[in-house]
Amino acid sequence: MADATAEGMTDTGTIGQGVTVSRSGEQGAFGGELLTINFGPHHPSTHGVLRLIVDLDGEQVRRLKPVIGYLHTGIEKQAEALRWQQVVVVTDRHDYLSPPFNNLSYALAVEKLLGVDVPPRADALRVIMCELTRISSHLVWLGTSGIELGASTMLMYCFRERDTILDMNEEISGFRMHTSFIRPGGVLADATPRFLDMLDRFCNAMPANIDEYEALLTMNPIFRSRTIGIGRLPAEDAKVLGATGPMLRGSGVAWDLRKAMPYSGYENYDFEIATSDLSDCYGRYLVRIKEMRESVKILRQALDRLPDGPVNIDDRKVLPPPREELETSMEAVIHHFKLFTEGYTVPVGDAYAAVESGRGENGCYVVSDGTHKPRRVKFRSASFVNLQPLERMALNHMVADMVAIIGSADTVLGDVDR
Amino acid sequence: MIADSLIVEKGVSAGDAWVSVAPDSIHTALSGLRDDGYRLLVFLTCVDHLADSSKPTWPGRYELVYQLRNMETREQIRVRTFLDGDPPRIDSVHDLFPPANWDERETYDMFGVVFTNHPDLTRILMPDDWVGHPLRRDYPVGGEVVEFSEEHEVWQTPPPRA
Repeated sequence: MADATAEGMTDTGTIGQGVTVSRSGEQGAFGGELLTINFGPHHPSTHGVLRLIVDLDGEQVRRLKPVIGYLHTGIEKQAEALRWQQVVVVTDRHDYLSPPFNNLSYALAVEKLLGVDVPPRADALRVIMCELTRISSHLVWLGTSGIELGASTMLMYCFRERDTILDMNEEISGFRMHTSFIRPGGVLADATPRFLDMLDRFCNAMPANIDEYEALLTMNPIFRSRTIGIGRLPAEDAKVLGATGPMLRGSGVAWDLRKAMPYSGYENYDFEIATSDLSDCYGRYLVRIKEMRESVKILRQALDRLPDGPVNIDDRKVLPPPREELETSMEAVIHHFKLFTEGYTVPVGDAYAAVESGRGENGCYVVSDGTHKPRRVKFRSASFVNLQPLERMALNHMVADMVAIIGSADTVLGDVDR
Repeated sequence: MIADSLIVEKGVSAGDAWVSVAPDSIHTALSGLRDDGYRLLVFLTCVDHLADSSKPTWPGRYELVYQLRNMETREQIRVRTFLDGDPPRIDSVHDLFPPANWDERETYDMFGVVFTNHPDLTRILMPDDWVGHPLRRDYPVGGEVVEFSEEHEVWQTPPPRA
């Protein structure tokens, strides 16, 4: 454990605000001085606004310190000022490439406090939305990482498929990215026949598309030489540093919350945990490709076995009545009015729920003081924790490899800074 | 395991097991749990119970919450402790769980909880020159100066920060 941290962030010292380049007096291994440079925050390869303070010896990284917070939007503070059902909309926005996971972890935590279980059809629709989003999130990662490593075709291929997923989001929820589809007590709406039709076509087409990506990259000598042996993170270090998701599975640890602590009926689906013992950028690439294939398998099973029935719990205190009831029932009008003016209260207590997002463990810790607004909402974001092993991985690599390593960590800066 | 003498209270909240300990024994308690197989610190955070009427009295204003997981047995436990004071102080646990390093910096940034023995206790999300700790309950929402507002008089005189 000690070696995982001791190599790293020992005595970088403080670097003044706005200092972009400074020389330190330390001698490097190649006879020159170490050079401290400021990488980012607006560098295209940082996937957002990540700033790294890097000490370079020649072109090798000797010290690296991530500086975050450039995308901090105070989502947790906003959540305290909103009513329980309104918070769903802000949860969409922290990991903006995978909103259903954020919705789901929040919804599961609130449902734990409320003590309700959603109907089977709602669970299946949640699984469908999550797996679609896992694919689209991996596609964004694959496209952007490809472009960083010189494979510019990848972006075109990946965004082509991502667009069909966004079309499906639009069909089922009306929004292309921030769907707010999953909410405490169920989901926004039932799937339309057109959505199920689109999903069916997607499940048929996707395996061939993944073959296409693999044909471009898996045996590509340039891609392999840029990723194999780069950014190694041994399994023990990955565990100690708290990495989750493809970062952990890429180091050979078969840990997946969908299997380890199943939620939303994942125990009923037949799929494998993708792992790779390579522990490097290439291993993480293989894991994500395999995960996309497994997601298609889950989608196919969910579609074939989609249960009938309601998609929301039958509790008028938590969810609004159906539109048609408003015209015939006075109680429905009262419930509707109360829900949208006052909201609902949640029993006193705290709960933590975690889901396996495309990036790792996406959790939500909610505390209720019995009022109609949360006392505290804490998002345990995978990217925030997965960014900490960055120095461990990038040490003694070239600057260009550092770019590959940042890409392979697949952090979303909105998720890091919240 | 945590020695029974350290446990102040234990219970289950919405299916999640928890124990509470005194703030000065947090390091001992967590290192006991870590040796017992709870190797992963899932998250560490703080809850501000200012003017919280859901209980008649609170042992302290700030509640620190540590969620631990045993990845072999898949058990989870939540350790809580209550703090008071200005600033509230508690021992850092970054030496037991390296991911706590950034979590503690975030808790310091957002709540002003000072973690003693932390190697680099600086602000992490807010700018270094920020005044106040935004997630405290007495910090106003919308306390930041909004430029380009049509209410010129309002933004020319910044509101007091907590």
